[in-house]
Amino acid sequence: MTARKFKPDEMVDFVVVGSGAAGGVVARELSQGGFTVLVFEQGPRLSAADFEHDELKYFFLNGITNSAQYAPQTFRKLPTETAQRPRGGGLLPASYARLVGGSSTHYTANFWRFHEIDFNERSVLGSIPGTAFADWPISYQDLEPYYTKVEWEVGVSGLANASPFDPPRSKPYPMPPLPVKSSGVLLERGARKLGLHPFPAPMAIASQPYRGRSQCIHCGFCMGYGCEAQAKSSTLYTMIPEAEATGLCEIRANSFVYHVDTNAQGRTTGVHYFDSQKRSHFQPARAVVLSANGAETTRLLLNSTSNRFPQGLANSSGMVGKHLMFNQGSGAQGIFEHNLNEYKSVQVTRILHDFYDSDPKRGFYGGGGIDARINPQPALWALDSGGDLPRWGAEFKARLEAFPRAMASTGHTTSLPLESNSVSIDPTLKDAWGISAIRVTYKDHPDDLAMAKFLQDRSYEILQAAGAQKIWRNEISENVFGVHLLGTARMGNDPATSVVDKYHRTHDVPNLFLCDGSSFVTSGRGQPTMTIQALAFRAADYIGQFAKRNEI
Amino acid sequence: MNASGDTQDDISRRSFLLSSSGLFSSMWVAAHWPGIAAAAHHADQVSDAAPAHFQFFSAAEGADVEAVGAQIVPSGSTGGAREAHAVFFIDRSLSTYFASMAPGYRLVLADFQGKFRAANPGAASFAAAGSDQQIAFLKTVDRTPFFEITRTLTVLGMFSSPKYGGNFQGSGWKMMGFADQHAFAPPFGYYDAEYKGFVPYPAEKHA
Repeated sequence: MTARKFKPDEMVDFVVVGSGAAGGVVARELSQGGFTVLVFEQGPRLSAADFEHDELKYFFLNGITNSAQYAPQTFRKLPTETAQRPRGGGLLPASYARLVGGSSTHYTANFWRFHEIDFNERSVLGSIPGTAFADWPISYQDLEPYYTKVEWEVGVSGLANASPFDPPRSKPYPMPPLPVKSSGVLLERGARKLGLHPFPAPMAIASQPYRGRSQCIHCGFCMGYGCEAQAKSSTLYTMIPEAEATGLCEIRANSFVYHVDTNAQGRTTGVHYFDSQKRSHFQPARAVVLSANGAETTRLLLNSTSNRFPQGLANSSGMVGKHLMFNQGSGAQGIFEHNLNEYKSVQVTRILHDFYDSDPKRGFYGGGGIDARINPQPALWALDSGGDLPRWGAEFKARLEAFPRAMASTGHTTSLPLESNSVSIDPTLKDAWGISAIRVTYKDHPDDLAMAKFLQDRSYEILQAAGAQKIWRNEISENVFGVHLLGTARMGNDPATSVVDKYHRTHDVPNLFLCDGSSFVTSGRGQPTMTIQALAFRAADYIGQFAKRNEI
Repeated sequence: MNASGDTQDDISRRSFLLSSSGLFSSMWVAAHWPGIAAAAHHADQVSDAAPAHFQFFSAAEGADVEAVGAQIVPSGSTGGAREAHAVFFIDRSLSTYFASMAPGYRLVLADFQGKFRAANPGAASFAAAGSDQQIAFLKTVDRTPFFEITRTLTVLGMFSSPKYGGNFQGSGWKMMGFADQHAFAPPFGYYDAEYKGFVPYPAEKHA
């Protein structure tokens, strides 16, 4: 069966906005369920042959990420400030990959499940004053079957129950872990000496041929790049071709949805979008699913004002865009006696979850995981100038020459949900289509910074125990941009404090669903994509059931 | 604010973006993607030899920028910025995909040149000065925007794909020990070659 091509103005069962980690899954599930699905993607459709080993292009010239050139954003730390455009460009305050497959195309592919505690942490720990810390309306047990579905249908490599802290699972991984790298061996050596429990990292990268895709060729260009071997389980290579194969799904690339329309009954009737020539069209649909990421889903809702919805769509609570969470992170890097050659193969092969749970004895809220990894390509590594790293001259050159002997131990940590951290609409700035631009307001909670520091100290100890000859660490800094765009349309049972219900249906518009990082209630421990995709499988399951029962 | 219009916040944002947080790293440079194809195409035709002349710099500007780069990554038993033709990468980038920052860069470069002459009344230019004199002066300006930007561009000129005009014949990658290959097979390094395999933990459940 070949991909569907809908006629102009042809009514479809579902419009899905966004073809990334969530949109790809939703499209595949709904089209396999027998529904017609039209997926809009603002970026282009590229294939494996289009991706390159080109650090300048992908990291410094927005090769596949959203760019200030056509979609500028503003940033401020606090709501009392006037947001400014960051000078010079580079990664935007809310950064994502803008192409078919979305950020699943350029992710590093760390695929940790959330643990049970992530869903009921507020009940276990109590409230945290000044924050919107809350339980999820679903439990780990509700999501477990869908985590398993991600592992088997999207494709994750790993070793089941290798970590004593792993949550329960119904099935092992479909593929064994990827071959360990020297950084993984050293992290394991250091951590075991300290009584910790490192284990093989679960990665959405094929360690053996899987469902028609090649296994990893260990080229090293995962984080920030599209996979040239189709071994990374991006929806571009997994969900999207399977959706198209139903004959019921079209992926419409270079098509930018800017308005969700509603009728007098308060139901959505479809979307307005610009085609590649910036011509505006209306696409009718029986229901709409927004999976455009935590920033663009928000922008679309807030820009979709009408007489009936003057503060934006699905925003009767005023919560759309609030509680943005980026995750925090920290690390230390060490130089060892022999070559590790960390530029080869996948970024991460060993992680540990000994510090996953928040511990009141630490004196602050937070938790996280530690992995072994490094900026694998030369320029990013060379430009690292934190701490007391030499920056020029003979000492700098000696550091550059130590590149093959270097690794980092890196912490990935929580962000508390704060009402003051948000994605909103900039009052004056417009994008190249004349649509109001994204304004990001973000300042880390002190506990988030304290947790990052705590794990940095643990990373330092691990490198020391592993026998590093020299160790550097950077200052912990406040986030001024994010690639994890979480929490901006949080899920909940109470329409006064949340945007979607536990089935991802908006409280306000019965045939409008939101499913992406925006649905998160808490931030997890810095690796959100696995959970975004499990939520997408679950959402699509229920949305399909509702549609079949005529309950949309 | 400084001559290029940067505030202190911008500088700290840069140093943050350039730091290795383990998340996504990036930098401050302007994004002019459409310009890059043309630049790369042009570079493809000249990357086998040093270009004969600069497109953006005057000869004197180019000489000074190259001399600063040669102090950032000195020559030696392995090649440095000079051997990698980093200055030609910088020149090309400022006339194409980084063009929006070119006027600001020219201003901070002029400021650097003026300060050098003021501090070294007898010297003709930074490029013409002796290495010790250059190092002594750079120590007084190595936190200025001019130096930070030149350092960033020099590094990019050493380690970006040779198709952009620097990293001459892969000399930057060779110096750093980075193998430009399409695929690798394990073992990748010394420590994984001697790894005996993952030993499971006893079955008790930790809370």
